[in-house]
Amino acid sequence: MSTISALANVHSTGQFGDCENKNDNLLNISEIKNLLIVQIVQYKNSSISFESIDIDGLNLKDEPLSVVNNNETRILWNGPKNWFLISTKKDLLNNVLEVFKETDFAVTDLSHSRAIIEIEGEEAIEVLKKGCPFNFNTLEKNNSINSTYNGIAFTVDKLDNNPNKIRLFTLRSFGESLYHSITDASLEFGYKSL
Amino acid sequence: MRSQNEFSYGGDATVKRPDLNKEISDQEWDNFVYNRKSLRGKHWELWQHISGCRQWIKVERDTATHEIFMTLKANEEISL
Amino acid sequence: MTQSFRLNDVGLINRDKKISFKFNGVTYYGYEGDTLASALIANGVHLVGRSFKYHRPRGFFGAGVDEPYAIVQLYRNGETEPNIKATEQELFEGLEAKSVNCWPSVNFDVGAINNFLKIFLPAGFYYKTFMWPKSFWYKVYEPFIRKAAGLGVASTKHDKERYEHKYEYCDLLIAGSGPSGLASAYAAAKNGARVILAEDKSRFGGTLLTSDVNIGNQTGKEWADGIISELKEMPNVTVKNRSQVFGYYDHNMLVMSERISDHLPSTKKFHPKQRLWYIRAKEVLISSGSIERPLVFGNNDTPGVMLSSAAKEYLKVYGVLVGKKPLIFTNNDSGYETAIELKKNGVDPIILDTRKDPHSEIIDEAKNLGIEIKFSYVVVAAQGYKKVKSADISKISDDKEQLGTIENIKCDCICVSGFWTPTIHLASQSGNKTQFKEEIDAFIPGESKQNEKTLGAANGIYTLDETLKSSFEVGNEISKKITNKENKVSFPNVVEKKSTVHDKFWCVPLPKGKNYKRFLDFQNDVAVSDIEIALREGYRSIEHVKRYTTLGMATDQGKTSNLNGLQLVSKIENKVVPAVGHTTFRPPYTPVSIGAIVGREIGKHSKPTRKSPMHFWHEKNNAVFVDAGVWLRPRYYKQGNETLFEGSKREAKNVRTNVGVCDVTTLGKIDIKGPDAAELLNRVYTNAWLKLPVGKARYGVMLREDGIVMDDGTTTRISENHYHMTTTTAQAANVLSHLEYYLQLVWPDLNVNVVSSTEQWAGAAIAGPKSRDLLQKLFPNSDVSNEGLPFMGYMEGDLFGVKARIFRISFSGELAYEVNVESDYGNFMWEKIMEIGEEFQIQPYGTEALSTLRIEMGHVAGSELDGRTIPYDNSLEGLLSKKKDFIGKRSLTREAFTAEDRQKVVGVVPLDKKTSIPEGSHLVKDSNAPLPNPKLGYISASCWSVEHDNPFSLAILKNGKNMIGEKLYVMSPLKNKVIPVEIVSSHYVDPKGERVRS
Repeated sequence: MSTISALANVHSTGQFGDCENKNDNLLNISEIKNLLIVQIVQYKNSSISFESIDIDGLNLKDEPLSVVNNNETRILWNGPKNWFLISTKKDLLNNVLEVFKETDFAVTDLSHSRAIIEIEGEEAIEVLKKGCPFNFNTLEKNNSINSTYNGIAFTVDKLDNNPNKIRLFTLRSFGESLYHSITDASLEFGYKSL
Repeated sequence: MRSQNEFSYGGDATVKRPDLNKEISDQEWDNFVYNRKSLRGKHWELWQHISGCRQWIKVERDTATHEIFMTLKANEEISL
Repeated sequence: MTQSFRLNDVGLINRDKKISFKFNGVTYYGYEGDTLASALIANGVHLVGRSFKYHRPRGFFGAGVDEPYAIVQLYRNGETEPNIKATEQELFEGLEAKSVNCWPSVNFDVGAINNFLKIFLPAGFYYKTFMWPKSFWYKVYEPFIRKAAGLGVASTKHDKERYEHKYEYCDLLIAGSGPSGLASAYAAAKNGARVILAEDKSRFGGTLLTSDVNIGNQTGKEWADGIISELKEMPNVTVKNRSQVFGYYDHNMLVMSERISDHLPSTKKFHPKQRLWYIRAKEVLISSGSIERPLVFGNNDTPGVMLSSAAKEYLKVYGVLVGKKPLIFTNNDSGYETAIELKKNGVDPIILDTRKDPHSEIIDEAKNLGIEIKFSYVVVAAQGYKKVKSADISKISDDKEQLGTIENIKCDCICVSGFWTPTIHLASQSGNKTQFKEEIDAFIPGESKQNEKTLGAANGIYTLDETLKSSFEVGNEISKKITNKENKVSFPNVVEKKSTVHDKFWCVPLPKGKNYKRFLDFQNDVAVSDIEIALREGYRSIEHVKRYTTLGMATDQGKTSNLNGLQLVSKIENKVVPAVGHTTFRPPYTPVSIGAIVGREIGKHSKPTRKSPMHFWHEKNNAVFVDAGVWLRPRYYKQGNETLFEGSKREAKNVRTNVGVCDVTTLGKIDIKGPDAAELLNRVYTNAWLKLPVGKARYGVMLREDGIVMDDGTTTRISENHYHMTTTTAQAANVLSHLEYYLQLVWPDLNVNVVSSTEQWAGAAIAGPKSRDLLQKLFPNSDVSNEGLPFMGYMEGDLFGVKARIFRISFSGELAYEVNVESDYGNFMWEKIMEIGEEFQIQPYGTEALSTLRIEMGHVAGSELDGRTIPYDNSLEGLLSKKKDFIGKRSLTREAFTAEDRQKVVGVVPLDKKTSIPEGSHLVKDSNAPLPNPKLGYISASCWSVEHDNPFSLAILKNGKNMIGEKLYVMSPLKNKVIPVEIVSSHYVDPKGERVRS
């Protein structure tokens, strides 16, 4: 069996845009693949305290913008009692199904539903400012938001500052369009696609 | 505070859907389905944050000046 | 070419960089830092264009955004752009420009004949003429108007420049870097606020660049330079020049246009030419200054008549003389400042002051310099056709009604000053209802509706001392509100000359026996006589006068004409100016290029597209795509030279004969989980759902509250509390929002989660008599026999190592299955299907064939479920549960919905079995009946029935259930067709539905 990732047909390596005199101060753009993406939603009338549940050493936090994380796993707030768990450990799904019981939680595997672009560099925020109306001056490390980029709905997960390291998630079918918009916006600053 | 293009409009927020299986007169039903006051001024309406958390919210907005006065969550009641 | 009007040692231009440019084919020289206007004036060029209506010669009037005449066609880097103001375009090496609205040349313009016909072309001309005879409109008038209209010529080439956007946020946005902008920015920035300071021109400082003032122990300009340098170093400040804030919108959002490369010969690769900033500011300070008001007299549009502040700017900023024998005509002290500067630079001006006996420091300075001043004097008319050669002047009586003896004096320019008009556009756009300030005879902002304040000259404050003081204070106050800090900056000492009041007089009367044109609106050629006509003809409201005469409607939006127009109307009407009212200002303040507004959403990016995981396979296999909303779907897979008709017929026939595979990934999939999931389905669907067994699928119809069918699909019970709902492609997003609406707002007690899983699964429909055989080979370890996987059954399977979901459902009406695998494996699944299907003569089929198959089967889809039909109309009344309530049920009892002869879906076949029936055509009883012919129904979908080999359509027909066998006519006025047809059952193929159950 062979797999083809969301952006396999559009992402190619190389240097693009205004790379003059930038030395290594270019943006890095890459596709992130093979992540576990699971939606975890607690039913409205469930009385279990979600804070007490432990998944990969992490606890859920019902706070807008929040990201709870360790090196392999990040849990993004997606709405009231609604989270996206994203991990490099694919078999974590079994644990998730175990600890978030069917009686109280809806767990849905959406690992194949997203195209993921990672953009790293000082100007990454400037790239986002070109197409997204959110106030990025207020987005801190380990914050995540849902918004739109040039009309395409996407999720922004800020992994780091200094330099900025940001992951963008969009519906898989929109992947090519978002990739074109993001790389186009990066031409002014010059980027390396890895 | 988010940009308006992340939201989608959903009609009058003061309309209450009658309970299922309830006996209801034609007039009452028509009021629910069709009849709306088209106010100039403060008005409670529904918006869904489709590009965000997908939550429905209630917004009090002045239809003439666009000034927003208050927002409520889906499960919060509007006190008229 | 010498620049005979250039001075050697004054100005801020860079004399080290000489620039060559062309105007109307002639080469000239200027310097870096010039505008096209300043460079042309330096070369003694004053004839720039011809006026819009009368084609009168026109020159330069202002030095910036206030310019009404000097509009040129610009050529840059192989591209052309129309309607650029020469006073705003910075000079660059190789710049080329041409005059507009004149032919064959600006010097000899045939259009000037209009000038001599002007008595026949008064105001209201556009409304009154060209009405009769009616037939002349298309043949004579329209082509003539089309040729005469407009100024420049739009390029027909694709604009290759990049234009970008940026969304930015700040605490304080300050529009304008004159003294009030600089002072408030400085005070606020020092107090920790995030400030964006925007300046329209290339140089910061505003009037400080041309005024003779001292701030602290520096000149005005030195102080401005110092402040800007400091601001640029501060991390919480963004300073932008060449950036104009042109629009103020809701919730304190303003839009700014940044001109990045317009002043350069070309744009750096990958970089934008212009950038549009959408700025949301907590607070806004408007320091947009004032524009000088003209005085109105005979032939005041002659080249060489210009604003005195412009003359001063050309001198002090560009080192250029607008004339060597200037006449200054003023009703206030500002004109004196220009005269003084000219005198200091070796020129002898003469001042005509309309006032009788004014006294001030400025007037004294002028007298001490020996400048000739005539009080109670006016210019009656400018003389000279293509350039001012002299002026007719005279004394004027105290009541300003009587002119004295007219004398003629030689001069080569007339610099006018009628006092000032505050630039209140942004305030007005924000919702601020402006108010009239008597002391300055102009409008200033009134009560703010949003978080904005106007400072300095834009607020009618004309002393520097008061401006700086109030600006420092406001900057500090506003920033304190936001940062809670209190770092006050010290306020410097200001030295400026004091001035006295202006004269309330703007329009010189005509001498007896003369009817000189006295212009109010310079760009649209609206004169005093035109306003008089409008008022005589009964137009009263300023909005009507404006539209009738076109006053203030040109591209300069009345910057130098609105107030004088208002003044005139109020004088004639004997009303006070504020009672006359003024028009509402709308963005943009000055023209903005469409490219900047569009940004990067062009070509491939103009709208997002959605592609399925198998898209590239389709591309490689000659799929011709069709837009399905934002999705791209294969319409058919073109073989050789076949047409759409041939290809889709081939594909559909192959499905009915062998087996076909279709990409159905785009159909909405919603994952539904929860203890109350079945209850939710039971409430949103019309049929019963509580007893659907695990492993079974059911067809469902969803209604709106008004009883109209919203969507249909199949929902499968995957496990006890887990359902998989499908929707049509078009309604996927709506259905999800619909479910969320009811779960959040109406029935919050239900414990259900709904989430879109359309993208998680790639889907392929395998349809046709051989589909089971193919499926068995795809899933050798599963029992997919008729008993193992019955109709509407569901099972999970293993597709060569890949987990798969198999649904036995059919859209085509043939024996069919839908296979879903996780999207990364989509292509793998598809290739396996094609590989294993080869022995069964498999062919992929697209949406065209898909349509054909479902139409001839009589399966309703979007064209029947079009938002106007109820279940009965679609022959779905059998799915309406009688036992439970559901969304839409109550509405179905309406009288119209239960009428005996209610419309219903039927089949339509042309009698000749050949003629295709256009979708959307009407069904009538008698094609020869007189109009209006009673419409019995409409054709909703048409195809070529591959089963019967003739055209077949579905239609919604009144009294449909009783019309089978009737002969009717299809009429399509659009396609000019009348087709005799027979009404048949909508189930044209396999009416008993035997194939799907085989």
